Amino acid sequence: MSDILTVADLTLGFRTEAGPARVLDRVRLSVRPGEIVGLVGESGCGKTTLARAILGTLPAEATQVGGGRIELAGSDMLGPGGGRGVRGRAVTFIPQDPFASFNPLFRIGTQIMDLMRWNSPRRDPAVRTGWYSPARRRADRAAAIAMLEAVQLPQPARILRKYPHELSGGQRQRVMIAMALLPEPRLVIADEPTTALDVTVQAQILGLLRRLAVDRGVAVLFTTHDLGAAWEICDRVVVMYAGQTAEIAPREGFFAAPRHPYTHLLLRSLPEEGRDPVGIPGSVPSPLRPPPGCRFHPRCPRASQVCTEQAPPLLGEGHLTACHHPVGGALGDTLDG
Amino acid sequence: MLRRFARDRAAMLGAVLIGLLVLAAVFAPWLAPHPEDVWQFHTPRRLLPPGPGGLFGTDRMGGDVFSRILFGARITLSLSVIAVGSAVLIGVPVGLVAGYFRGWFSDLLMRFAEIFLAVPQIVLAIAIAQTLGPSIQNVILALSITYWPFWARLVYAETRSLRNEVFIESAVALGASPLRVMVLHVLPNIASPIIVRTSIGMGATILTAATLGFLGLGAPPPTPEWGRMIAESREYLPDAWWYALAPGMAIFLTVLGFNLLGDGLRDILDPRTRRSAGQGGGGGGGGGGGDE
Amino acid sequence: MVWLNIVLNRLVWLVPTLLGLLAIVFVLSRVVPIDPARLAAGDNASPEQVAAVRHSLGFDRPLPEQFLRYVAAVARGDFGTSLFTQQPIADDLAARLPATLELTLVAIVLAAAIGIPLGVVCGLRRNSWLDHVLRVVTVSGLAVASFWFAMQLQFLFSMKLAWLPLSGQIEGFPPEHVTGLMIVDALLTGDTEALRSAVRHIVLPAITLALPAAATVVRFTRNGVIGVISSPSVAYQTAMGYPRRLIVWKYVLRMAVTATVTQLGLIFGILLAGAVVVETVFDWPGIGAYAVRSILQSDYNAIMGFTLWAGAIFVAVNLLVDLLQAAIDPRGAR
Repeated sequence: MSDILTVADLTLGFRTEAGPARVLDRVRLSVRPGEIVGLVGESGCGKTTLARAILGTLPAEATQVGGGRIELAGSDMLGPGGGRGVRGRAVTFIPQDPFASFNPLFRIGTQIMDLMRWNSPRRDPAVRTGWYSPARRRADRAAAIAMLEAVQLPQPARILRKYPHELSGGQRQRVMIAMALLPEPRLVIADEPTTALDVTVQAQILGLLRRLAVDRGVAVLFTTHDLGAAWEICDRVVVMYAGQTAEIAPREGFFAAPRHPYTHLLLRSLPEEGRDPVGIPGSVPSPLRPPPGCRFHPRCPRASQVCTEQAPPLLGEGHLTACHHPVGGALGDTLDG
Repeated sequence: MLRRFARDRAAMLGAVLIGLLVLAAVFAPWLAPHPEDVWQFHTPRRLLPPGPGGLFGTDRMGGDVFSRILFGARITLSLSVIAVGSAVLIGVPVGLVAGYFRGWFSDLLMRFAEIFLAVPQIVLAIAIAQTLGPSIQNVILALSITYWPFWARLVYAETRSLRNEVFIESAVALGASPLRVMVLHVLPNIASPIIVRTSIGMGATILTAATLGFLGLGAPPPTPEWGRMIAESREYLPDAWWYALAPGMAIFLTVLGFNLLGDGLRDILDPRTRRSAGQGGGGGGGGGGGDE
Repeated sequence: MVWLNIVLNRLVWLVPTLLGLLAIVFVLSRVVPIDPARLAAGDNASPEQVAAVRHSLGFDRPLPEQFLRYVAAVARGDFGTSLFTQQPIADDLAARLPATLELTLVAIVLAAAIGIPLGVVCGLRRNSWLDHVLRVVTVSGLAVASFWFAMQLQFLFSMKLAWLPLSGQIEGFPPEHVTGLMIVDALLTGDTEALRSAVRHIVLPAITLALPAAATVVRFTRNGVIGVISSPSVAYQTAMGYPRRLIVWKYVLRMAVTATVTQLGLIFGILLAGAVVVETVFDWPGIGAYAVRSILQSDYNAIMGFTLWAGAIFVAVNLLVDLLQAAIDPRGAR
């Protein structure tokens, strides 16, 4: 089955006052239709930048693409006019901060119906104008109400008349999920969708997201720094460290037998019954002066001379690792999953 | 910090304009081609257009407009510095005290200040200046009385928001006297907005002073006050078009200088209202590496 | 409830503010070296006549008593009589209010119509050449002395080009009185002659008055747009494929205008202060010119009446701004 999203060797950075920041370094990633992929990494590892790059919403004037490509539902997102007609249709977005992501001055209903006016699946993509037929408006509204019900919001018609500040954080994120699913996309990018929420609400929202996505066959790319959350809902996990892809593995294999030393340490840093969490010494390097070779080598207990000179290629079948000295030995030949 | 300032071309322009004003004021007697024209009449030479005789032409008394502009800079500069200085000296302590202490007295002080803000400043200034009689001293007095509440209100708000900061509370807990806390701890931390406000306040004060002069409330003639010069020129329009041009431009460039400087200082000193750094963009968004 | 709170909050402070204002002006007017009784009696009056006038005007009583009498009279709507027009000051002011209102309204519409779109464009194209040019223009607009700018306009458009009248509000017969606003009255009565004249007369004063206000609106709108355009809500809408023009001209504009409205009180203050000078230069028969003339003629009853009016209008405008803000910002007044 062909991938819905392919990120191939993406290298990307920003011009800053302090010089170029090399935020992403030959990142590789793919999402298959209907699959839920967790993109895991610490804050500052480039997850959000990658999510925005896929959506094509990075600030054009400051962004420098060093190479690679992003292909989403057959469209080249880095090409001229990249993403237009794809954003909001084939791919939608659930933001990190449901508090700030609504415009506070407009009712929820206005904001949903403006989305539907332009991106509803019932809209004829050939029509370039904003014409909104009453019949389609009625159908879109009914769909919106049904979707709000599906995300378990009581009295959806009343929600539509409310202003964002009249909803709780959890309610707002449910609306965001509904809006992400309404255009019937093939992929939803959820950028740390639960970090801004109470712990008690987080699990509900994650469960809801997974169930709705699986029911509808929608693929999800889900960024998180929370391995627990990844374990809850993902089919496959991609680990990033300082802008490089470290490991890609199916969920079971990932948690049972991590191969990259970073992943290994990351899992050991989780609090678990019977042992204290172990932190990883050192800190994430600045993208202004990333270490040469494997960016993890200054903190890696297994690092050797070669790690400081060459960035390791991403190798393996199904379970891929970018490491010169992977944990657990034997590696397959070169091939991506 | 200085480098940032030097890169801000607008702020530099402001500094240069103010520098020129100060130079003109200080060296007026040497720079002016006809320093005696400030007080003497040369009726045969009256209302001459700009030419070799005088850069900006001559006025209704035959005075060289250029020379009078230079001497006018002295009036404008000294008047605005003294008026704004007094307004700051009244407003800052009032705002500090009202902001630092809580209670009816603080409320009363600020209510009193707000009374002055309830009518257009120009009206209040005209009323006071007229009541006191036309002289430079009275213009200064009128402007200080009119403008002090601006600093009081600013300092009050800043002090209030600072009052609950940990470092202020710990200074109080360590037994520092209120005066000591206000002067040594609060004041240095609110200096930036005061400086910015003062630069912009200079511009506003100069405009108001010129308006008073225009309405005939400033120093009596033949004082070379810019606003008064413009008022005098009115009856000679449209023939003596140059007459009003030079003093008007002088006011404009001076006020522009203080406003540009204030804007530039705000960018440097007051990060909350920063007009976001210029070209090259990206700024925080890119520098952080993305994961906001 | 929010509305009631806002109104009460403002009204509670209206009376003390106006009383304080009155006290300040009153003290000023009574400590002056000029004897108002002599002024009222005229130059040729004998000492006895002056004394009689002084007594009849109450100037011979103690200051606090004079003040209380004045406040009591004001409370009854009696501002006293102008020493010069010999008319009740309330009537003088009421007769001149429509002219000021008309000028100010035209200026505010002009400032908004020019300032908001320019501010939006500058905010969207930050650091473009247009933004730089407009930054210079707006900073300049706030640095120009309005009386001088007015004179230059008069010089160019009235004297040299003779396109527009030099001063005044209308030429020939004014339209039939309906609202007191010349342009509106001319429109209502279909008086095209008067309409033409009224419009031609208002152009220059309105431009002069609108210049600093428009400059302020541009700056606030620009900064508002810059703040909003980089906000998470715009990032979200962009990622969700909302069309750019919808984001800008519906969502961002509304946010920026809301931010500008919070500054309307300030902008109105600029206009009110400007009106005083602009009306004087253009001989516009409004309360601003009346105030300047009263002040220059030491007509203290008129000065106090005007000050009180200006204070009341200012408080009313701020109240209006609070209400407007509560109306357009669903989060409620902050």
